[in-house]
Amino acid sequence: MTVKTFHVAGMHCPNCCMRLEALEDELDGIVRIRADYRKALIEVEFDESKTDFTRLFRLASEQGYCLSEA
Amino acid sequence: MTELFIAFVTGLTTGGLSCLAVQGGLLASSIAREVEEEIHSRPKKRGDRPVIAGASRAWMSILLFLGAKLTAYTILGFILGWAGSMIQLSPTAQALLFLAIGVFMIGNALRMLEVHPVFRYFAIQPPRFLTRFIRRAVKNGDSFATPLFLGALTVLIPCGVTQAIMAAAMASGNPPQAAAMLFAFTLGTSPVFFTVAYLATRLGARLEAWFLRLTAVVILALGLFSIRSGLTLAGSPPAAWFRPAAATPSAPGSDLILTALNDGYSPGLLYAVADAPVTLTVVTENNRSCSRAFVIPSLQIQKLLPETGRVRIDLPAQSAGAEIYFSCSMGMYNGWIVFVENGAP
Repeated sequence: MTVKTFHVAGMHCPNCCMRLEALEDELDGIVRIRADYRKALIEVEFDESKTDFTRLFRLASEQGYCLSEA
Repeated sequence: MTELFIAFVTGLTTGGLSCLAVQGGLLASSIAREVEEEIHSRPKKRGDRPVIAGASRAWMSILLFLGAKLTAYTILGFILGWAGSMIQLSPTAQALLFLAIGVFMIGNALRMLEVHPVFRYFAIQPPRFLTRFIRRAVKNGDSFATPLFLGALTVLIPCGVTQAIMAAAMASGNPPQAAAMLFAFTLGTSPVFFTVAYLATRLGARLEAWFLRLTAVVILALGLFSIRSGLTLAGSPPAAWFRPAAATPSAPGSDLILTALNDGYSPGLLYAVADAPVTLTVVTENNRSCSRAFVIPSLQIQKLLPETGRVRIDLPAQSAGAEIYFSCSMGMYNGWIVFVENGAP
């Protein structure tokens, strides 16, 4: 498993963490998402062979968040 | 009754918006299934929006959610009131509590207004295991149990305004009164929840951001009010800035009579003879407000006055020019006693 960290723009309350972490249920290959509201980061634990980050970026964007590589 | 009315109106106005900003996600989750079914059952058309007006079961889910929330907060109110009655906080401890709540609220308001990232540390982030548990429950639960469960869970993520009401409920030290306060407040928040949920089905990030900004301003004001209450209870000099404007001074004496009314104390300014013990008699008549919780912070005196009756308080001799502040335990109503030589102001 590989871990990657992303900056998140658009997080404005702890509730956003719940939304972002829920994306782990939506995407194949993503094992776990840990969101940190204080640092405006998400840490994604994923399986490289199965993960499509374009979908993660798109789903986050649909919820009003903009991800960028940390 | 006044506190209950204030709690209800607070819920109806600021509380509803503030709670929605924090707990909107849970409400959205509880009706997600109905929304999903509604979308799937409709013919696909361009420009379709996931609006549930007319959705058969959504209103039932919202009502179950709100009912569970109301029950959970009423129970919490009872527990807080009970805890408050067990722990008799000294005026100093109460002052510190109000100051801490004030700082917490102001910090949260500045966080919501995105003044600086450092204010994000004022936010309480629910633990990951809890949010994960909620998600699983939504996926696996049946359509009636889920909104009930999520409604009850809102008790774990109270918004800033709710926390202020919770503190007031605890300060009352009376379980039924505290339960009634939180019941009235939560009932007040319900129309906003119901309306927004029914019309919009889910809060988008942008709408939520708008709510947050609006409520941030209100929370900022409540935070300042809490600081003011804390300072009043601490008996500190800034409390004097809030002296009742229309305080009618009493005639000087060593037997002082003060009336605790539903909306404050009369007279707001009392003159007492210096260098001699003074007796203060506080009179109440059908008083149901927080002015019954009478406090003289500098002397560490606190008395819960009867709804109707007289309570005698002996004050030690004070030198001429000394001033003693008194207030209700919320720091909302106050007044002061000035000690003068030979009874001459």
